Amino acid sequence: MPDVSALTPGAKVLLQGNEAIARGALEGGVSLAAAYPGNPSSEILQTLAESAEGAGIYAEWSTNEKVALESAAAASFAGLRAMASMKQNGVNVALDFICNLTISGSQGGIVLVTCDDPSGVSSTNEQDARFVARTAVLPLLEPATPAECLAMMRLAFDLSEQIGNLVVLRSLSRLSHTRAGVVPGPLPPAGPKPYWDPKQAWFTIPVVPRHQAMLDKLAKAGEILGAAGLNRYDGPEEPELLVIASGSARLYADEARRMLGAGERVGILHLAWTWPLDKELVLKHLAATDKVLIAEELDPFVDTAVKSLYAANAAELGIKHFFGQDSGHTPCIGELSPGKLATALAGILGLPWQEVDPDYAQRLETALTLAAPREVGFCPGCPHRASYWSMKQVLAADGREGIVSGDIGCYTLGVLSTGFKRVNAVHCMGSGLGVASGLGKLRDRGFDQPVISVVGDSTFFHAALPGLVNARWNNSDYVLVVLDNSATAMTGFQPHPGTGQTAMGQPGTPVDVEQVCRGLGLPHAVVDPYDLAATQEALYDALQQGGGVRVLIFRRLCALVQGKQGGHPHSISVDPEICRGEDCGCNRYCTRVFRCPGLVFDEDSGRARVDEVVCVGCGVCAQVCPAGAIKLSPKEAAA
Amino acid sequence: MSSPAPAASLDRLVSQVISPGLCVACGACLGLCPHLLFLDGQVAAPDPCGLEQGRCAQLCPVANRPPATEPAEGPLGRVKTAYAARAKAADLEGKAQYGGVVSTLAALALSEGLVGEAVLTAQGPRGVPQGVRATSREDILEAAGSIYAGAGTLGLLNQALSEKADHPLALVGLPCQILAASRMKGHEKYPDAERIGLSIGLFCTMNLPGRGLRALLKENGISGPVERSDFPPPPAGIFQVWSGGEYYELPLEQVRELRYPGCAGCPDLTAEGADISVGACEGREGWNTVLVRSGPGEALINLAANLELIELEPAAAESLEHLGSAATAKRTRAAEEQNSA
Repeated sequence: MPDVSALTPGAKVLLQGNEAIARGALEGGVSLAAAYPGNPSSEILQTLAESAEGAGIYAEWSTNEKVALESAAAASFAGLRAMASMKQNGVNVALDFICNLTISGSQGGIVLVTCDDPSGVSSTNEQDARFVARTAVLPLLEPATPAECLAMMRLAFDLSEQIGNLVVLRSLSRLSHTRAGVVPGPLPPAGPKPYWDPKQAWFTIPVVPRHQAMLDKLAKAGEILGAAGLNRYDGPEEPELLVIASGSARLYADEARRMLGAGERVGILHLAWTWPLDKELVLKHLAATDKVLIAEELDPFVDTAVKSLYAANAAELGIKHFFGQDSGHTPCIGELSPGKLATALAGILGLPWQEVDPDYAQRLETALTLAAPREVGFCPGCPHRASYWSMKQVLAADGREGIVSGDIGCYTLGVLSTGFKRVNAVHCMGSGLGVASGLGKLRDRGFDQPVISVVGDSTFFHAALPGLVNARWNNSDYVLVVLDNSATAMTGFQPHPGTGQTAMGQPGTPVDVEQVCRGLGLPHAVVDPYDLAATQEALYDALQQGGGVRVLIFRRLCALVQGKQGGHPHSISVDPEICRGEDCGCNRYCTRVFRCPGLVFDEDSGRARVDEVVCVGCGVCAQVCPAGAIKLSPKEAAA
Repeated sequence: MSSPAPAASLDRLVSQVISPGLCVACGACLGLCPHLLFLDGQVAAPDPCGLEQGRCAQLCPVANRPPATEPAEGPLGRVKTAYAARAKAADLEGKAQYGGVVSTLAALALSEGLVGEAVLTAQGPRGVPQGVRATSREDILEAAGSIYAGAGTLGLLNQALSEKADHPLALVGLPCQILAASRMKGHEKYPDAERIGLSIGLFCTMNLPGRGLRALLKENGISGPVERSDFPPPPAGIFQVWSGGEYYELPLEQVRELRYPGCAGCPDLTAEGADISVGACEGREGWNTVLVRSGPGEALINLAANLELIELEPAAAESLEHLGSAATAKRTRAAEEQNSA
């Protein structure tokens, strides 16, 4: 990521939404930024970490989102400006603290950035995190462009300080990862020396009066934001249809109206802040139309607020027709698009419109029949493929219909064929251990299936510890497999407690999984998942052992990190004389069952062969081949 | 892409034998391909194979039962000569189950170069037996003694046959394994199996799942390695176990309950397809009953006698009669089982 502290004020640059958020934070005077990686939010802290030295700030990858926000709050209590960024799931993790922080209040400006992921492109769920604004009574900003990201971050810190509470800024995958021209402003001078006046207490009691204060802060935020004039209307004075749009939907609404040539009939109310609802402005524009379409990503957040406002004022406003998710004109599932909004507008206005040209649709359908069916899968050489292979083999040999309780990370893909569909449950960070802990306590009720919980090294430190302690304490019977690839690989190789590096590239104090196991008194062993036989022996014995939790650490560096460090020392080849191909005794075992993308079946010769471009030389397939046809040889030194 | 044919061999093996719990862990399907694995005494097939003419199901003695009708030659099958015999070598004492004849003959076949390798069963990890490949008398002695649990031994035979070599192989096995080995030899897509040059069959007293036996022993306070075990002849009604310098007796009924369900349909007590079959000798501790069934078997036993490696006596008629009755009883039970299946 770029060092955004080095940008020249006034000189337009192309910035990703997340980079613009980072630059906006610097311009807003942030002193401490903390986060846990999670797409689509990861680049914010990554950018701030790259820029930290230049900007003189502190940036931290924290163990989880709650800790990140708590660290940021500490800086705020000490008078500094601070922020925490996270994906939608992270808001859930931090929610308990958020719901208390909003009552205790804050001092230095503090901003929570949530990057939601409609369609769950890089998530295990699809969730609208804007609920946090309503639940925790917090002002909510929804930029639509990278330039707005920057400007609103700056504004958010000021607003937070003015009201003495946390401010939420919501981005979306599309915005976080889009690039657009942004004109940076100046960076402020360094923040004050942090100081916590011992007479100043930050807590939530007495609850009732502080609860009132929290509501007052939101009302004040509404006044400040209203005066800033960020929400704006664009269209005819009395439009046939009013679109109330927020976030990326504002751009989509513009585009849809333009595509339909409906500028004379449609007005768009752009809401740049959506909580509290800009009641005065909304009422004014409701009064000027009969039909209203609400356009927003995911939940009916603005929708319900507008309808509630309308209900309270219906006697004065008269009958209005509302369109949106309830009417079926917009989706509440999956990402919104200009095309979907144009379809909605055309339907309401009675305009001819086809989202996709029939000829194009036909050609697309034809093209799709030509494309090879492809599923998301582990990288070539990924240790997780080897790990799940061993779990599959051992659980089959065990024969007691074992269950694998999964968790969040690259290895979540164990639910798909790349992991031999060996994962039976996945929910949120750390939940695999909790589920396993519960299963492991059903023995007395006759539950006799063995249980494996898989967790990655980064997730282990994020959220696994309470579940593990619970299982240890209550003597739950399961095998914990820590898939330790020494990387937070799914989100872009951020450091974590096990790697010992900090966000700013300084050496930290490494915390290893063995230390934790020793501390908890848990039996544990380390195996190399590339060594299939040893891994399977260890796993089988651990399964037979019974009793309380026992831990196996499958340790092997992420294949991509290995690649960056020079790769494996072998090159792999298939001896076609030995390969059995489709005969009894094999039947394409390596390419049909093991399915590493580095191996392909050559239909002409009827033999497997290595795709040298893809293969990284891990050598696991050589252990899978029943004929010994797959050979490892020392990689030739580069010329 | 076509889906795997419903009649795929491995699917048949899984649905007819493995999933219903009828596998007896003979190992005939093992070592042929990577789809079948054997761990801790149990056969498993994690993934489908899809081939319709796979050897795995064709060789399986449970999927293809021999008929439970008495052979024309009588209840013990073809027998050229029957002996009572015991080995003379002192190093077999305490290791061999009864008379040491099996170990002596296997070692002799190796030392005389009649075979280059012998496949037999020895104690394995976790107290569960496993197949071993022996190339010396020392290897053979390591495997001496009966273990009474499924070991997948034929997997090792398949593995040995898959290697490029010319030497004949010897197999020491239970009746189900001798049956499967003879099927291998006759299989048109298994030319390498012609290298099976000698088969020494064992009378099958009882074959138990290794995991179940281990659990039963543990219930009875035996968790260390078993040095020796035996089913003394009726009316003893016990299973004897020597472990950690201690002697234990388990009620026969407890052990019987463990038996592989798949053994119930087996009609063969004395490994009728072997070159030589060997078992306990009624009423004579330290002696074996030996049934010589083929020319090569006869040559080997004569060689052992001529070299004074074993003592031979004609088998007692009464003893053979009792053995025949036991064989008939087993065949009758198998017929009932096969008819009810």
